Amino acid sequence: MTTTLPTPTQFQERAGVRRAINRVRTSALPILIIAVFLVASLLVPQFLTVGTIRAIFLATAITGIIAAAMTAITISGNLFSLGVTATVVFSAMIYFWTGEATGSMWIAALGAILASVVLGLIQGFIVGLGLNPVVVTLAAGAIIYGATAIITGGEVVQAHSRELALFATFSPAGVPLPVIVLIVFAAIAWFLTEHTRLGRHLHLLGANRETARNSGISPMFTTIWAFLAFSVGLGVAAVLQASQTLQVQADNFPDLTMNVVAAVLVGGTAVTGGDGSPVRSVIGALFIATITQIMVLVGIPQGTRLFVLGLVVVALVITLHLLRKATTR
Amino acid sequence: MRSVRAWFLRYALQLVVLVLVVASMYALYPNFRVEATLERLIPLGVIAAGLAVTMIAGEFDLSIASMAAFAGALTVVLSGLGLILAVIIAVVACTLLGMLQGWAIAKLGINSLVFTVGTLVLIRGATWLVCGGLSISMDDFTASDIFLGRFLFLSPLSGTALAILIGLGIFLARTRWGRELYALGSARQEAIAAGVRYKRGMVVAFGISAGCGAVGGALTSGLSGSAAPSALESMLVTGIAAALVGGIALAGGRGTMVNVFLGFAIIATLSSGLAGMGLKAFVSQLFTGIFLLLIVLAEYVIRRVSDDARRRRTKRLGDAPEPVPLPA
Repeated sequence: MTTTLPTPTQFQERAGVRRAINRVRTSALPILIIAVFLVASLLVPQFLTVGTIRAIFLATAITGIIAAAMTAITISGNLFSLGVTATVVFSAMIYFWTGEATGSMWIAALGAILASVVLGLIQGFIVGLGLNPVVVTLAAGAIIYGATAIITGGEVVQAHSRELALFATFSPAGVPLPVIVLIVFAAIAWFLTEHTRLGRHLHLLGANRETARNSGISPMFTTIWAFLAFSVGLGVAAVLQASQTLQVQADNFPDLTMNVVAAVLVGGTAVTGGDGSPVRSVIGALFIATITQIMVLVGIPQGTRLFVLGLVVVALVITLHLLRKATTR
Repeated sequence: MRSVRAWFLRYALQLVVLVLVVASMYALYPNFRVEATLERLIPLGVIAAGLAVTMIAGEFDLSIASMAAFAGALTVVLSGLGLILAVIIAVVACTLLGMLQGWAIAKLGINSLVFTVGTLVLIRGATWLVCGGLSISMDDFTASDIFLGRFLFLSPLSGTALAILIGLGIFLARTRWGRELYALGSARQEAIAAGVRYKRGMVVAFGISAGCGAVGGALTSGLSGSAAPSALESMLVTGIAAALVGGIALAGGRGTMVNVFLGFAIIATLSSGLAGMGLKAFVSQLFTGIFLLLIVLAEYVIRRVSDDARRRRTKRLGDAPEPVPLPA
């Protein structure tokens, strides 16, 4: 059919190349992770043990859930939330308090998620007005951090009831609950962003705000939805984190925000919006956790680990950027 | 006279907030000395200035706090050569690194937010390596005495910082390369089409940003005689807050060094006043956040009101018949 057409085949060739590059771009990270796993299991003796694999997935769980949730914000063209750490600490505190007060871990978890959602909705509303999301979430983070520290007096908040740890210790069939939650959460997030009308609205709003508005999509409404999804994930992650550590202090987890942002970027979601997937962000988190775990096993000191991690993030981000550029031009 | 009035109107919001903050600090805390706030120019003021330059150029440098810590570590390690020389070497090295970063961003055409998230981790890792993972201090404890002099209300450190701010202000407002940064920040495509060199702009902006961060970090370490691998981490957020509270537009193309100074003064007065009252650092974090939110909300409301007013004006003018639509 194509041979009979008199039009130059150059255009179709270029489209084919583009499709191929796109395929490379979406499959590059999974392939890379598999390669890293293979190489590591050959070269690092303790790597292929249940303990190590479990540790990698556990380390992925918290950042992965938040990264998947944050992807909704990034896709909708609202960049990132920089208030992750503060909200997680605040929700963890609520988890302990409601847990101690009511004696039920379920009510505690609900309370923690509710707290995160309320904070998220307020921020979503302000961002929806048209204010810069980075500034709003930065300010909100500072306020939440300050409020948490003042409420607790900067002291450690501890859980005395062992029941509150169950979310982290419960592991049906040997799979820790946080990992199951991660998988379920990623699946729901994937379905919502890829197969619902709301997900399409998110994509369109991020790809072209004006067109989206003109086709009847409300930026306010869609942005609030993105922040709602984000804060639910944040609340769930906070509950898991809280039941893992059983104590929390206002200045805990200082690296969490940047780790989540790095996971989203390494996953290949475009910061400009309109392109990305929560599953890819989870894979990004998994990749970072794997590299870190391998370096811990080999006995590389923390400074070198950070340095290598930085190199890997820069290299991956540049590669993804160049591949995206090649497909869009 | 008119220009003076225009100047005040331009910075009205920030000036009012600053006066309120200073007045309330004096009211709450009689021993408060506003000139002591100037000592916070190192590192906060210069870091805010560095962030402001990249924001004006329409970019974002998240790596600036890591760069400051790196310069601090270099200063301490090299302090055997003499403290001043060590500071100069650290600042020059970091400025070159920043220029390289700007060149890479321009060459790749990558979003700087994305790129500098990576270098934020990378340079922090380099700082750990230089420090060997521990807090390090200089062998010669008396070396930092040269920073202890005083001239009127300025110390050598705050004087240096103030000179940098003034120099940058003149550079941005009066030189061609400085004006080009505004052009790149406000209308990039048009600027490039008009002949502004994008790559040079990025190299200049990120070089200045890294240099400012390095001055802040190197002098902080020079004064305290020590450096730590995780030092100055909070300076990124506080620096961004200072620049934005001062009225630098995150969207690019708007803001001056006067904005930076006012923003710095508001945040620094707040935190030094609250610290003087014996309140912990997190109280000033809370207030920083509230101020940031209030100022962006106030600017949003002002913009909406003035947009509405303009629309009403044009409507009145537009009572003339609608232009005839062109045939399709």
